[in-house]
Amino acid sequence: MTLPEKIMALYPSLTQQDFSTVITLQNDSDGKGDYIAKWEHPTLARPTQEQLDAVQ
Amino acid sequence: MAGVPFVFGNATTSIPLSNLDADFNTPVTIGNTTVGLGNTVTTLGNVTLNNVTINSGLLSTATIPTANGTVMISGNMPAFKAYLNVNQSLTTTTFTKVTLNTKVFDTNNNFDSTTNYRFTPTVAGYYKISGNISIAASTGATRVLVLIYKNGSAVAQCDGYPLAGGGGASTSVDIQMNGSTDYLELYAYVTATIPILYGLNESLCFMSGSMTRTS
Repeated sequence: MTLPEKIMALYPSLTQQDFSTVITLQNDSDGKGDYIAKWEHPTLARPTQEQLDAVQ
Repeated sequence: MAGVPFVFGNATTSIPLSNLDADFNTPVTIGNTTVGLGNTVTTLGNVTLNNVTINSGLLSTATIPTANGTVMISGNMPAFKAYLNVNQSLTTTTFTKVTLNTKVFDTNNNFDSTTNYRFTPTVAGYYKISGNISIAASTGATRVLVLIYKNGSAVAQCDGYPLAGGGGASTSVDIQMNGSTDYLELYAYVTATIPILYGLNESLCFMSGSMTRTS
């Protein structure tokens, strides 16, 4: 699963618009993959790495 | 001696002011070029100038070129264009640096097309930068966004046209660079089932720019 798919699985209420406003997922094309660059959602907490790893 | 022409040889020649008239209107011949030095107009023929300062004192106006002339100031003014030459897969809704891995030109060797895919100009000044992305036809995109990042933050962005058969976006910015640590990168953001940047030639996904003036 991709990072946005994992986040959506944790928080189904998120919309695609959230990912260009209050949440920023980024990939710097340096081989390190996608990561959460910004999480400013007003009500949902930033998921931990453990939570993301647990999503199948 | 005022009013008498002077002919210079190859050696440096000093002319005592007492030998020139008050308005420096004495005709002077330097090599094959005749030079008239006056208080209002000075005309030179075909002359090569090295390390010349124009009007460094109280005077501040110099008009270059004349109506039918041209001026080229390009020696250390960086210009570049780099593009994506193979398709690049993205993750949907993820801001991703475009791996601009092929240079069209890079006059000052300031674009890194192998590791960081960024433009780091070594001459301080103002630059005009353009960026463009195109997405492949099979992605079914609903949003396509192109961004120019300076030092990791967006300084220009534009929503483009996500079409069923592809789409694209372009943006530009005028920006000041410090000539040492400042750098620029191109990022893309696509919402699609299978986001793919179309890499084929210099017309699709590219960033280009040039210096417009020094700081």
